[in-house]
Parts: sequence; structure tokens; C-alpha cells
Amino acid sequence: MSKAFRVSAVVVGLALLHFLLHVGFGLGDVAPDLLTVALLVGVREVDVGWGAGIGFVLGLLEDAFAALAFGASTVAMTIVGVAGARTRDLFVGDSLLFLVSYLFVGKWLRDLVYWISVGEDIRQPFIESMLIGSGLAAAYATLVGVVAIAISGSLWETVR
Amino acid sequence: MSAYHIGEDVEPTARRQNIIALVIVGLALASPFMPTARQQQLAFLLRNSLLRPFVMIQEGMAAASLHAVSTEEFQARLDSAVSALTNQSTLAEENRRLRNLLDLSRRLGTAYLPASVLRAGTAGSESMFQLDVGSDHGIHVNAPVIASGGLIGVVREVRAGMSIGMDWTHPEFWASAMTMDGEIYGHVRVERGSFREGYRLLLDGIPFHDQLEPGMAIVTSGLGGVFPRGITVGTVDQLAAETAGWRRSYWLRPAVFPGSATHVLVAVGTMSERPADLTEVIQDSTSEGAGPIAGPGDRSEGPGS
Repeated sequence: MSKAFRVSAVVVGLALLHFLLHVGFGLGDVAPDLLTVALLVGVREVDVGWGAGIGFVLGLLEDAFAALAFGASTVAMTIVGVAGARTRDLFVGDSLLFLVSYLFVGKWLRDLVYWISVGEDIRQPFIESMLIGSGLAAAYATLVGVVAIAISGSLWETVR
Repeated sequence: MSAYHIGEDVEPTARRQNIIALVIVGLALASPFMPTARQQQLAFLLRNSLLRPFVMIQEGMAAASLHAVSTEEFQARLDSAVSALTNQSTLAEENRRLRNLLDLSRRLGTAYLPASVLRAGTAGSESMFQLDVGSDHGIHVNAPVIASGGLIGVVREVRAGMSIGMDWTHPEFWASAMTMDGEIYGHVRVERGSFREGYRLLLDGIPFHDQLEPGMAIVTSGLGGVFPRGITVGTVDQLAAETAGWRRSYWLRPAVFPGSATHVLVAVGTMSERPADLTEVIQDSTSEGAGPIAGPGDRSEGPGS
């Protein structure tokens, strides 16, 4: 099985699982943000234009349920998609430390851009939302992301 | 798709990719500023195409959880209902004739339709819920949504077969309210906490010379034309703040926590068709230990049933 196919399968699989857990089972914050993990995994393999496109589509899907702040997820995911694709030019590491840092910072950046995008009326205080809530969410997503990548062997060679 | 190229194609490819990325980022940045109607159309399209299977799964799970209630409990309720109906059949007939005489049937003409609440659980969907009834059932925008304990929220968007509502934790939620005796008026809104679990209902705009005691019931006043008079909002918890000589505000203990509501009643018909005062209906049903308003039970009946 080619690496490109494997990565694509993991991205689609994680996205489907995300919506199954969040929308289908209605688990909310109990389930990790697999959509961001899928995006971060996928954009490491593509150019910046594709990265933006994947982020845009995934963000738009998430915004379909976001009557509260439509577009905020689209902005956040698109920017993370671009940034993730750009990391290929900046970092070529494939260590576990890099993978953990990449997923954690990527998820936290997504939440930060989202927090900025939703507007003052809706967002919660920065300390509670970004430092506590998003910190925990990023750690959760990182843990699940590392496991998913290790199982699928979709990305970093040294993780397997 | 690869970012790595060899030879003189590298620069044009990178430039093209950058331009594509810029265009997409521009589209993304524009999306929050789209007209609300366009946003709703796009969201509706996605919910009913790519995301439809996931919504259907949640609908199925909601139905399954409803059916999981023990049959013994249903049997006991059925026995009680049959017993009550048997004893009150003559009263019901008399009541119907009196209503016809007094033209109350027109005033209470609207029905409250039972509906299942679905919550997406994705980022940005907090404070919003989806109902499995829509315009084809006679639901309109601004229809009140009520659970057995009291007010949940209001419908914001209506489509065929489904509608989207916001509960009282939404920053835009606002309802005119009063004490049960109709003596003291104010308005209810959400006061946001550091975390969502800390969101509280605040009764604001109470005249300074009026004082509310903990435990007093607060109901909708009917002012504003959205919520009918008499829907329970909550009970007074404690004084939140007071501006000397001007006004007081009180924390309320909500009648219903939105997250706990899986089945609700939604008003059918337009604002002018709805009953303006539900005080007696709510009080009667509360004293009987039942839900606030008896729904028609059959969604095909539509408005004005």
C-alpha cells in the first residue's frame, strides 16, 4: 500500500470518526478533536494550496453545525492547513518529540485562531479557554493522534 | 500534490500554490461575513448531504434511548391515564362545549408539537440544537421551545422537516419575565461564566424598591411578542447586584438545564396564532405533575389543531 493512499485513508477515517463521535453519538468535548488531527496529518504530505483547500473543506463541514459563529472553524482550519503544509519547508524531523510538538501546537493554534475568529460576544476568557481548556484539548488530541499515526503507520517512520 | 519538484518548474509551481492558498484563505476569511441567509443555506446543504448520515445516527440513538424506557413505567402511566380519562370523560365533553361557547378554542388554537432535540457536539454548536420538526409541521421562526420543567429556548431557523433553535445559554437569548403574580417585571438573559458549566440565568431590570425572595418562581411576561405569558423560566436564587436607588438583578436557578432536555414541545403557528397566556395551563400541568402543555401527539395535525 502506497504511503499517499495510507495517509489519505487515515485522514478520511479520522474525519469520519470525528463526526461519528461528535455528531452521531453527540459526545461533544468528551471526544477528541480528530478533525484537526486529520488535517495536521494530511497537510504534511501536500503543498500549501492543497493544505489550505483541505483545511477549508474540513472547517466548512464543522461550521455546518455552528450557527453560533459560522466561518470561525473555516478560518481556523484553513490557516492551520496552510501553516501545517508550510512546516515541511521548515522542519524535516520525524521524531516522536517533533510529532507530539507538531500535533499539540497545531491543535492549540487552531483553537487560538478559532477563539479570535468567533468574536468578543461569544468567546470565553483567554486564560480559561486557551490556557486551560485548549491546553487539555490539545494534549488529548495529541495523544489520540500519536496512537492513530502509530497504528496506521501513515506518517513518521520513527513512530512505528 | 507533492511539494518537492526538480528543475525549473519549482518556482512556478510554488507561486501557483501560494496564489491558490491566498485565494482560499481569502474565502475562509470572508465566510464569517457572508449574509446570514447564505450561511444558513450553506450549512443546511452540508447538513443534509455529506453530514446527513451522522445526523441520522443521532436521531436513531435519540429514538432508541426513548424506547429504552421501561415498559413497566409506560404501562403504569397508561393505566393511570386510562383511569383518569374514564373518570373525566363527561368533564372533558362539558369543557369542550364551554370552550366552544367562550371561543377559547381559537385563543388556544395553537398546538405544541413534541420534538426530539439533537445536539451536534462540534465546535461552535454550543447553545444551539436541532429539532426534528420544521416548516412542514407548522413551525415558524421565534417559536418558543419548552421542556417539561419550563422554558428551553426559541427556534431560530426553520427548514422542511427540521429546525434550529437556541437555548437560554446563547448570548443573544433574552426574555421578558415577571413574578408569578405579575407584580414585578424584569428581563432574563444569560450571564456567562469562565466555563460553560458556569453559565447562569440573570433576572435583570428589577426596580430597586422591589425585592424578590429566594425560591420565588419567575415566568415569562408575554412582553416582546416571542414567548407567551406564563412559561416557567426559573426560581430566584440570590441577589446578584444592585445599583443604589435604581435597580436590582437576581441570579435564577433555571427551570430546565438545556443539556438535559432530549424531548421538548415546540409552538406551532405564527406569533399571532399562538396563545398569549399560558399561566393557567402551566400551573395546572405543574400541579398535576405532568408536562407543561399537552401536545397533540400527532405531528400531522399541524397548526391550529
